[in-house]
Amino acid sequence: MAMTPRQFEARYEPAWLELERGLNALDAGRKKAKAGPFPTGASEVPGAARVAQLYRQCCEHLALARERAYPVHLVARLEALTARAHQRIYRRHDLGLGAFRHLVLYQAPAAVRALRWHLLVATIVFVLPVIVVGVATWIEPHFVLTIVDAGQVREFDGMYGRQAGEHLGRTSGDDWTMFGYYIMNNVGISFRCFAAGLILGVGSLFMVGFNGLLLGAVAGFLVTRGDSERFFSFVVTHSAFELTAIVLSGAAGLKLGQAMLAPGRLTRTQALMRAARETSPVVFCFTLMLVIAAAIEAFWSSAGWVAPGVKYAVGGCCWALVFAYLGLQGRGHDAAVLEARAR
Amino acid sequence: MKLDTKLLAETPEGIAILLRPAGAVPRGLAYALDFFIRFVVMFVAAMFLARIKGMGTGLMLVTYFALEWIYPIVFELLPGAATPGKRAMGLLVMMDTGLPVTPSASVTRNLLRVADFMPFLFAFGLLTMLMRHDFKRLGDVVAGTVVVHAEQVRLAGALPEAEPLAPRVPLTRAQQVAILHLAGRARRLTSERLDELAALAEASLPPADYAPGGTSPAPIRPGPRLVAVAQWLMGQR
Repeated sequence: MAMTPRQFEARYEPAWLELERGLNALDAGRKKAKAGPFPTGASEVPGAARVAQLYRQCCEHLALARERAYPVHLVARLEALTARAHQRIYRRHDLGLGAFRHLVLYQAPAAVRALRWHLLVATIVFVLPVIVVGVATWIEPHFVLTIVDAGQVREFDGMYGRQAGEHLGRTSGDDWTMFGYYIMNNVGISFRCFAAGLILGVGSLFMVGFNGLLLGAVAGFLVTRGDSERFFSFVVTHSAFELTAIVLSGAAGLKLGQAMLAPGRLTRTQALMRAARETSPVVFCFTLMLVIAAAIEAFWSSAGWVAPGVKYAVGGCCWALVFAYLGLQGRGHDAAVLEARAR
Repeated sequence: MKLDTKLLAETPEGIAILLRPAGAVPRGLAYALDFFIRFVVMFVAAMFLARIKGMGTGLMLVTYFALEWIYPIVFELLPGAATPGKRAMGLLVMMDTGLPVTPSASVTRNLLRVADFMPFLFAFGLLTMLMRHDFKRLGDVVAGTVVVHAEQVRLAGALPEAEPLAPRVPLTRAQQVAILHLAGRARRLTSERLDELAALAEASLPPADYAPGGTSPAPIRPGPRLVAVAQWLMGQR
């Protein structure tokens, strides 16, 4: 004779109650979960190992209850219990510091290197407008007005021109104000640049290219005005991080766009999910770089009292550092790191 | 055809966890609430930071940045897995596998809110949500996350107490399930409605004047008889 719902409940309810007690204790965090021998007393609070064991038992009970079409309240009770235990058991248990270290040292550079073709495209889309517009403005200074309006040109002049004071690169505001502004503005822009990749990659290309246009226009205009040293000594240090970050965000956006446009043998959704998983270390990487860039831009680049020669030297070191990090750090572990992430 | 929006997430233990995805309205309200909270925090922070000379404006901008981008990520990675707005609406974020949301998924879904916002006022996000049965916006699709109602709806509770009665004829499994389900809802129904529904199963229920070991003095209505049969099916003899 098959077991009736009543017998079933009477027989297994102690296990359900014990699991519930264990979960309550874990949630309250009063009793530190120990991976010791299983406690046996009925009223005792079960430890972590026992909770895992009880969870598997309850999963079995749920499967049986569903299969035998037991009354809804019984099934629902088991569903709620197992769902709660499932959330609890599969939750992250550490602060993620080890994972963070692994992300910085291995995953981020490996993920960037895996995007090399997207990086190449993003770099071309960024550098080409810089060169074209820069040269065009250098030859014909009025060309700058086709990119930006007269008010903005005047602003550039105030920031880097002869009348720029002690602080380069700004018309007003102190170091801290500008730091906040750069964080909000630049990181926001690169996040948008990445997300815009969802529109078949066109959005990212547009934003990267547009930033290239602006940079070319400003640089070309200032060079013709004879303010090149002031401008280049200002940008050389933080641009190592900032320009790289813009190109990285564009490349990551392109990867999303590619998944949307040419998902290959996956469905579009699957391709997108995979692309997001692969690019998320890159997103982390460019965000961190932009925060560094903002700090440098606010406190170091703007300092008018530092001799341009020193800034060029420091800037050169920063460029070398960024390229070394992205190109060399953790090289040789790439395949293993990427495979571990894809799983 | 599927009538409800429940989502089945299978676990390694071989059971399926039922998720109840949240639709556009509660999520919209949660967003509005979060927006209001962020606005108030920004407003209060600005009042204090404006007094600090020098660093004040910078800190204000950093606060603004943090409220826009970091706020949802931090709250989604805390144990509740929900921003205050979502919590107030009884929602939470999890992976569509039923697992707790991972940091990289949370970052992805929150950065891609920008794409959902395009071209204006979350038009893409709303469109995607309305087109899918699991109400994911673009960011959720890409990150593999889903916003669910934290509480399950319970339509059926424990059966009301009753003396068990055997059914008139042996019941098929489907009939047993139907009777047990209806009896589980008995507490939510008026007795008249229960009688009305139970009358549909009249052929399976014992006769109205049946009592164990004889005939009952007054006819028993179908509702109580159905509950009695349900108790019998539960194993009470």
